[in-house]
Amino acid sequence: MPKTLLVIDDDVDIREVAKTSLELVGGFTVIGAESGIRGVAVAQNAKPDAIILDLMMPDLDGQQTLAQLKLLPETASIPVIMLTAKVQANKQELVSKGAAGVLVKPFDPMQLPDQVCEILGWSVARKDVCRNGSAKE
Amino acid sequence: MAPQKNNEVRSALEKVWLNSRPEALGRVAALERFAENLRSGTPDRPSWESALSAAHRLSGSLGMFGFNDASSCAEKIEALLGDGPTPDPATMLSLVERLRMLLEETPESSGKPEKHDS
Repeated sequence: MPKTLLVIDDDVDIREVAKTSLELVGGFTVIGAESGIRGVAVAQNAKPDAIILDLMMPDLDGQQTLAQLKLLPETASIPVIMLTAKVQANKQELVSKGAAGVLVKPFDPMQLPDQVCEILGWSVARKDVCRNGSAKE
Repeated sequence: MAPQKNNEVRSALEKVWLNSRPEALGRVAALERFAENLRSGTPDRPSWESALSAAHRLSGSLGMFGFNDASSCAEKIEALLGDGPTPDPATMLSLVERLRMLLEETPESSGKPEKHDS
């Protein structure tokens, strides 16, 4: 079974490119959500292997969404990678709030799966396994 | 990555860009309107917020489609707007004009196969 990633971003372009990249390049299964509220609900039901979460969103923003995900028993252990623009990036603060790491926008679609694997500790030596989705950490 | 796979990815990304291009150009148009309003007076807060949002979205997305310089330019506009609702009109106009020009160029291709063959 391929690993499943949930991408939460209000920008449809980001969701589409991330899905294309992570599925075609990385071999993951990708589901998307267009808001923090929707993302939390999807995460509770789908229990993805990891979540990529945009920081700047209307209504429930990335930090609020992260806090909710970490509070809920069904989602608390799912690693969350924050997705943010360079001008906003404050990696240490986000990690201290429970994020597994930070990805900077715009990302290179060809590199994104490698970056995800690296942040999640799916080691370089196991990257192909990670890509194929046959190893669950 | 195998060349065939690379082409498949590029083709998929081009399709996404073709779909999103009108919206991206609409965001540039919003920035152009803001820059014009700035030159002729003080824009209201909603139009500043709208321009800031447009710049943010452009800076975060254009680079994914190979428009790396345009993305950097949008990031500069975002930073300029982030300083407040009345940035220097000449700087704003100059950056927006440059953004429009960069978007009309051919994007740099992303995902060079030689980087991903390992």
